[in-house]
Amino acid sequence: MSLTQALATAVSGLRVNQAGLSLVAANVANADTPGYVRKTPIQVTIAAGDLGVGVRVAAINRQLDQYIQRQLRVESSGASYAGLRAQFYDRLQNVYGVPGSASSFESAFNDFKTALQALSTSPDSTSARAGVLSSATVLTQQLNSMSADIQGLRGDAEFGLADAVTRANDAMQRIAQINRQLGTADASDATTASLQDQRDQCIDQLAQLMDIKVVRGDHNQVTVFTSSGIQLVGIEAAQLSFDPQGTMTATAQWNANPAQRTVGTLVLKGPNGGDIDLIANRSIHSGEIAAYLEMRDQVLVEAQAQLDEIAATMARALSDRTLAGTPVTVGTQAGFDIDLASLLNGNSVRVTYTDNLTSTQHVLTLVRVDDPAALPLPDTATTDPNDRVIDLDFSGGIASVASQLNAALMQTSLQFSNPAGTTLRILDDGAASAVDVNAVAASITSTALAGGSAELPFFLDASTPYTGAITSIGGQSVGFAGRIAVNAGLLADPSKLVVFQTSPLTPAGDATRPNFIYDQLANATFDFSPVSGIGATTAPFRGSLPQMIRQVISHQGDAAHAAANLKEGQDVVFNSLRQRFNNTSSVNVDEEMANLLNLQNAYAANARVMSTIKEMLDTLLKM
Amino acid sequence: MSISGIGSQTSLIVQSLVDTRRQLDDLQRQLGTGKKADTYAGLGLDRGLAVGLRAHVASLGGFDNAITNVGVRINLAQVALGRISDITHQIKAATLQPGAIDSNGSTNAQLNAYLELGELLGLLNTQAGDRYLFSGRSTDQPAVETLDHVMNGDGARAGLKQITAERKQADLGANGLGRLLITAPTPFSVRLREDVVSPFGLKLAGVTSNLANATVTPSGPPTGTTVDLTAGNPNDGDTIEYRFTLPDGSTESITLTATTSANPGPNQFAIGATSDLTAGNLLTALTAAVGKLAATSLTAASAVAAAGDFFNVDAGQPPQRVAAPPFDTATAFVAGTPADTVTWYTGEMGADPARATATASVDTSITVSYGLRANEQGLRWVVQNVAALAAMTFSQSDPNAAERSAALNQRIGTALAVPAGTQKVEDIEGELAGAQTTLSAASDRHRQTKATLSDMLEQIEGISNEEVASTILAMQTRLQASLQTTALLFQTSLVRYL
Repeated sequence: MSLTQALATAVSGLRVNQAGLSLVAANVANADTPGYVRKTPIQVTIAAGDLGVGVRVAAINRQLDQYIQRQLRVESSGASYAGLRAQFYDRLQNVYGVPGSASSFESAFNDFKTALQALSTSPDSTSARAGVLSSATVLTQQLNSMSADIQGLRGDAEFGLADAVTRANDAMQRIAQINRQLGTADASDATTASLQDQRDQCIDQLAQLMDIKVVRGDHNQVTVFTSSGIQLVGIEAAQLSFDPQGTMTATAQWNANPAQRTVGTLVLKGPNGGDIDLIANRSIHSGEIAAYLEMRDQVLVEAQAQLDEIAATMARALSDRTLAGTPVTVGTQAGFDIDLASLLNGNSVRVTYTDNLTSTQHVLTLVRVDDPAALPLPDTATTDPNDRVIDLDFSGGIASVASQLNAALMQTSLQFSNPAGTTLRILDDGAASAVDVNAVAASITSTALAGGSAELPFFLDASTPYTGAITSIGGQSVGFAGRIAVNAGLLADPSKLVVFQTSPLTPAGDATRPNFIYDQLANATFDFSPVSGIGATTAPFRGSLPQMIRQVISHQGDAAHAAANLKEGQDVVFNSLRQRFNNTSSVNVDEEMANLLNLQNAYAANARVMSTIKEMLDTLLKM
Repeated sequence: MSISGIGSQTSLIVQSLVDTRRQLDDLQRQLGTGKKADTYAGLGLDRGLAVGLRAHVASLGGFDNAITNVGVRINLAQVALGRISDITHQIKAATLQPGAIDSNGSTNAQLNAYLELGELLGLLNTQAGDRYLFSGRSTDQPAVETLDHVMNGDGARAGLKQITAERKQADLGANGLGRLLITAPTPFSVRLREDVVSPFGLKLAGVTSNLANATVTPSGPPTGTTVDLTAGNPNDGDTIEYRFTLPDGSTESITLTATTSANPGPNQFAIGATSDLTAGNLLTALTAAVGKLAATSLTAASAVAAAGDFFNVDAGQPPQRVAAPPFDTATAFVAGTPADTVTWYTGEMGADPARATATASVDTSITVSYGLRANEQGLRWVVQNVAALAAMTFSQSDPNAAERSAALNQRIGTALAVPAGTQKVEDIEGELAGAQTTLSAASDRHRQTKATLSDMLEQIEGISNEEVASTILAMQTRLQASLQTTALLFQTSLVRYL
């Protein structure tokens, strides 16, 4: 009978209205719940028999624009990458101090220079000497503390990574768990919808940590990959692991070789076994983890290298003296003798010769290397882009050095020998005249405070001379800014700032040494190693120490400014996307209220239908 | 940035309010500190320039300190040099007036010289702060010894007076004839010759004779000359002139005139009946004249030379003494050692110019040299001559005292006029004045440069108060409007109207 049918239809209408009401209630209640996506019922007509038409809620729809959601996730990775990077750069800026303030690095250096100017004017003045030493101490302490700050930041990045890995693992576990729950029931009811909400939120969290790709499968399943294509989550979650190092030092660096790696690395353990080193594979390009890695392994390492380069140049500028070779002729062969007795580990001899066949001048740099693990040295071991670097093992004495050189430089026709003692003799080929030796000079680190020349070991590596020794873990320069100190001997005897020889005793008013120190620090030009990120291997930055400091500060300021700009730009993109996403997905209370009115009306109408049917039935029954 | 999750609409609005508020706070900081940013990142593109400018300003500060310090030093040195110059003129004036010899054996000029020598030494020990200005590089050591040590020595170390006395013995010789032997090799001849080859005493420079019948034959070394009168007597009025070089480089001559007078005056010799008698007379006259020359000019010249030996010290050039005893037959000098001779100059010695012993950079590539050494030619010359004058003693009973004093006065007076071509005190003053000019020019330049640099630095790092204040005002208005709108937005909800 069609009346009963109509009643049934009205009831189905009431049921749908109630469902709609409960969704409005849910939407309003969750208006501010993070990750909540507005739900709407999907109504379908049900036909039964010829006339019977009813309605039912077929599914709960999540008002979601998947295209925007995907884009939002990409930008969310980018935003958290840019945000974290900007935050680190900002903290790094603090290391260099407030521009122009007394505590800034440049002020410390300028103060040192001014104190040296005063010493040049009054070499005999005790207070001028004390002034130089105290400002030098301040400068070294500044370098030490800047170095410690940078390593502190690296340590923060290391712990940040550990924390991010924990959060990523939590999110991945949760995604896998929800995937499994949704897999069992292929329904699209409210439970399913809210589980999907939760899963999306977990994926969003993961997207903040790293750049991911999400692929939707059947049965409400999603699979998450890194953007490089390694699967992170399916039914099972992969496990990320990270082994943080307790204390961070400048020498602690990431290396593809696990034996030489002294910081934590990021390993992905797949659900089916198999470990993948995500850093070695360069699998992560965005998100917090990428920002932490970039900071820990590049930006901060480079910032440290810049300070190290400044510290090393300061030390060597004052301590390195040049020992020129003595011309010597043997028969028809001409060349030079050079005494290598005081050549220290890391010191070098520069040989310039002309190849007469091609009329080109070549430069050889012979470097003393005591750590066999560091061999062989590349030509980039020195800042000079045009030289050929030859490492020398001094353990067998100079005779062995000569034979090492003869073996390495057979083609050049140069002849090396050890005529006596610690002398190295470098000769051309005599009458054949295929090659001529132009000059030989050694650069030797002075270790004595009064060694007879203006050079002095003003700055030490803690308590040993800084010679620029090269070792397998990078060499003495790595982290030198954290260890540089004013020579304790100088602090104990400030007169050595002036007295460079004891017989005859340098007069107290002799400005030779103060002038030398000032000139080296203020005016002399040096080649700076490109590891600092300033200058290139083929064209190293050449300039004075103040210019290098200016470059470093400018370079860091630029980078920090660019990072802040990137963050702002990324924030704009991210926020506008979020706005668009919200427009479709978030709850608009006004809209819900309007729906409520609609539902109320519909409910009243349905009820009206029912009461009419009842009246009609009553009429029928009364007949 | 806090991302609480997708879907919280309100956080977006709040975020933008917080951002505005943060900008407002930063503007307030700018207004408070007057600085555009508190990190290098915030300074903008000119951050590198700012660092460079500040380094430049700092180095200008260093140069200015140097200029101030060096300026004081040069001023003090100029005052001392001015006074030394005055003393030179005073002593020179005093030597022009013949003075009586007092009971202590000194003339007025000498007493004056002694006092002024004390002042000279004091002036040469002038200090600027703890720095001795006339010690070359040894600025922590006095430049010169005390007056007492210089004149009288110090224990075993001989002073000027002893050196002068020794030199006097060496120059005069045992016979008081300036190390000359005057003999008669034959009855008809007179021979004058130096006793040995030595740097001491009178040096025979030449003999000019117009004595008739005389044969003059030079001999030596040791340099000598023989006048032979075997051929006969000279005529009345004929002369013979002996020229001598004295230890101080001056020359004197003795001219003896033949006379027929029975009582020949000084520098005359009687023509005898035979030429052998004449030769005897010539011998006597020559001996007397040489003795007189030795007691007067030679003694004075010896004192001047001794002062030169004593004061002319430098690197590798110690004070010179007579190699002795015995002094009166000495033939050579010996270098005084720190143990036996006072070295009046105690500062740093060197072959390089004295001015180069103290230099100051007053600009990037401008260096001022202002070092001084008390043993510089110009300064030493004054001290040496004043000391020579002060060291001599006379005896009232000595008949030659007045002449000797005159000889000394004349020599010192001439010397203090400073021979052309040698350094004068005024030359040193002039050089320092040049340095002072450089200093003041540099100082002026620095003041201008500093002003320009500070201006540029201010443009990079500073803020315009007006701009910041108006921005704050604008932002405040915007924030208020934004807050009100937000409030309004939250109020206008359908919920309130149902």
